[in-house]
Amino acid sequence: MIEVQGLTKSYGSVVAVHDLSFSVAPGEVLGLVGPNGAGKTTTLRSIVGIVRPTGGAIRVGGHDVEREPVAAKRLLAFMPDEPHLFDYLTVEEHLRFTARLHEVADVERRIPPLLQELELAEKAEALPGELSRGMKQKLVIACGLLHDPRALLFDEPLTGLDPAGIRRMKQTIKERARQGAAVVLSSHLLHLVEEICTRVLIMQRGRKVALGTIAEILTERPDLRGLSLEDIFLALTEA
Amino acid sequence: MIGAALYLIRRSLVNATRRRVARLRQPKYLIGFVVGGLYLFWLVFRPRRGTGLGGAASPNGDVVAVGLLGALVVFNWLFGSAESPFTFNLAETQYLFTAPLTRRQVIDFKLLRSQVPLFISAAASAIIFSGGHLSGLSLIRVVGLWLVYGTLQLHYAGMSLLRASLAQQGVTGLRRRLGTLVVLASLLAITWWSLRRALPGVVAAFADDPQRGYAALASIMHTGPLGVLVWPLEAVVAPLLASSAAAFASRVPAALLVLGAHYIWVVRSTLAFEEAAVEHAAKLARRIEAVRQGRWAARPSHAAKSTGRIRLRLAPTGGPGVAILWKNTVGATRDLSQRTFILIAVVVIGGSIALASGPMRGLDLVAVLLLGIGGLTLLFGPLAARCDLRQDLEMLDLLKGYPVRGRQVVGGEVAAPVTLIGLVVWSCLLGAFAATAGRQGSDLPSLGDRLAILLALLPATGAVLLVLVLVQNAAVLLFPAWVSVGRDRAVGLEATGQRILMTAGSMVVLVVALVPAVVVGGIAGVAARAGGLPLMWAVTVASLMGSAVVLFEGVLAVHLLGGVFDRMDSGTAGTG
Repeated sequence: MIEVQGLTKSYGSVVAVHDLSFSVAPGEVLGLVGPNGAGKTTTLRSIVGIVRPTGGAIRVGGHDVEREPVAAKRLLAFMPDEPHLFDYLTVEEHLRFTARLHEVADVERRIPPLLQELELAEKAEALPGELSRGMKQKLVIACGLLHDPRALLFDEPLTGLDPAGIRRMKQTIKERARQGAAVVLSSHLLHLVEEICTRVLIMQRGRKVALGTIAEILTERPDLRGLSLEDIFLALTEA
Repeated sequence: MIGAALYLIRRSLVNATRRRVARLRQPKYLIGFVVGGLYLFWLVFRPRRGTGLGGAASPNGDVVAVGLLGALVVFNWLFGSAESPFTFNLAETQYLFTAPLTRRQVIDFKLLRSQVPLFISAAASAIIFSGGHLSGLSLIRVVGLWLVYGTLQLHYAGMSLLRASLAQQGVTGLRRRLGTLVVLASLLAITWWSLRRALPGVVAAFADDPQRGYAALASIMHTGPLGVLVWPLEAVVAPLLASSAAAFASRVPAALLVLGAHYIWVVRSTLAFEEAAVEHAAKLARRIEAVRQGRWAARPSHAAKSTGRIRLRLAPTGGPGVAILWKNTVGATRDLSQRTFILIAVVVIGGSIALASGPMRGLDLVAVLLLGIGGLTLLFGPLAARCDLRQDLEMLDLLKGYPVRGRQVVGGEVAAPVTLIGLVVWSCLLGAFAATAGRQGSDLPSLGDRLAILLALLPATGAVLLVLVLVQNAAVLLFPAWVSVGRDRAVGLEATGQRILMTAGSMVVLVVALVPAVVVGGIAGVAARAGGLPLMWAVTVASLMGSAVVLFEGVLAVHLLGGVFDRMDSGTAGTG
């Protein structure tokens, strides 16, 4: 579903991402981890077409993001780490607005269950100023899920959520993957990655350090056997 | 796409209006709304001479409007930015750039959405400058201005896209500007070539009668290559200057043609502007955040580093009030650099020397400018610089957690804007004195008298500043529900009314606080005069004594407000 080939992104002389390649199949959840400044957000933004790669190619559902951005974006949803909302649109109106952008016809049918799923039903008429950080995050995710995307990109999706919200969000992500969506999840919460990701991509200074299931990574690095993902991550990124 | 944009515009307007109306149930907004409304009414309908924008239809209006528009366009071609062709906010970047939209659809969305603020700007300008004569012509002015703003917006967008495109192709800023200069020089050459024969006649006509001068200029503006050059500018401003509905209707097609050509220019660009727009949106959000915190000169952090950031060090021991003063001062000056000050000095001094003429020497103009800047800073600085309790009360829990007495907190908070604004005002006064120090003449007081005036003004301005800042902070502590605290500043008619009330209140308190000072200062001045001191020096003595009284009042107020702070709990802090 998502294919990244030789992705490179430079900002002047600073190389944010260097020759990165990976793919995510339908139903798979890829955990994107790395220290601050590793290039995780740049990678996600490149996939969604906000950032223009300096080199390489990205395809979503077979559509080249550079050449066929509209077709690629129809299949995509990007949930950024900072929820930015329109000051004077209510929760429900954000969803209706998103539906217009994505040409979702059966919006009346889709909105109520989505609001229920993300525990926003009681806040449907609230403006962003009346929402907590966690609720704003949930709204951004609800907007992302509205058009039933086949590829989901989450950047720190649990920030600001309470324990119940975290559990619900994890269920949501797993459920979407079960339904066949390809998911990329960028997070510093390694226990979350360990719990719900089928594979892990560890990045450092814009480069791929390791990619695969934990078992595959340990096969390549038998010296790390018996360690937790946190210890593996630190061993690989502090080396 | 148009449907989505219209939906966003419509719902945002409805929700914003509902919210504004709902909060009028609170007395502070209702009173603010009434006062703001009265102010707006006065602004529009106050008795004035002339006909305001109605006069734009005069023969000179054509020439002046074309000249202004031309100057704006040339200025932006020379100094405009290639940063981002359109200003998106963070929510727009999040929703639009990830949606399955073509670049053209995104541009259409942005253009459509920006029409509301453009229309409001046009309507506000037309109403405020109508001279109180609202008529059918006012509607023509609104639509005319809207057309001008819309075309300018598209022109700037096209220009930015072209610049960004050149930058992507490796054409650097200097070479880009060189290209612009060559084009402008060519246009200038065409203009000069067109004017070269007629120019002496135009100059003579202006010398004889400005009206005749304008008429002569208008006639050559419509002939030869200059006529071709000026046509698009004239077409854009023509509807605005129409004196009747029929004239307006006949002029609109040409303006729409220019607008349409600009639209085609912009949407035909295939430049990928998303990345630049995202960066620009983030930068803009940071700038807005900085302004909301009272830091008006927010600049990129890398620029501050490269141009010598001002560093203030805090000693590890000392009064806690000093630490609060330091915190607020560092926050307010974080984005200032030595280069900023050098630039201001160069602009003030260089500009004055360039503008000086006749009996007005360059340095005289420097002094006048500095006195003007100092005066405005003294009056409006305490309202604008919010690096005190107006900013920090949002963090009341944190402040109250410190092992510090309330009076020390209030003292430190008040000291920051007093110090910063005081530095600006005193620098202006000292600069003005220095600029005229070498000057002798019958039109100026003697050097000794000027020194006495300076020594009188230094403590007096400090005293006035202290009272004005104290009033703002006292209002936050005594009437927390009436003052907007923290980063989010209220906007709208009601907020304007609240600010008017606050300013009026400040002035009343200022007068009351100055009464004892004037009495004591007056007595001291009279005594000094009786003791044989020259008048100016007696004024200095009066000022010093009066300022000492204000300082005493200030210390007393800080103690009292400190007590209020100690008794305050976080639930009482307002949010505007």
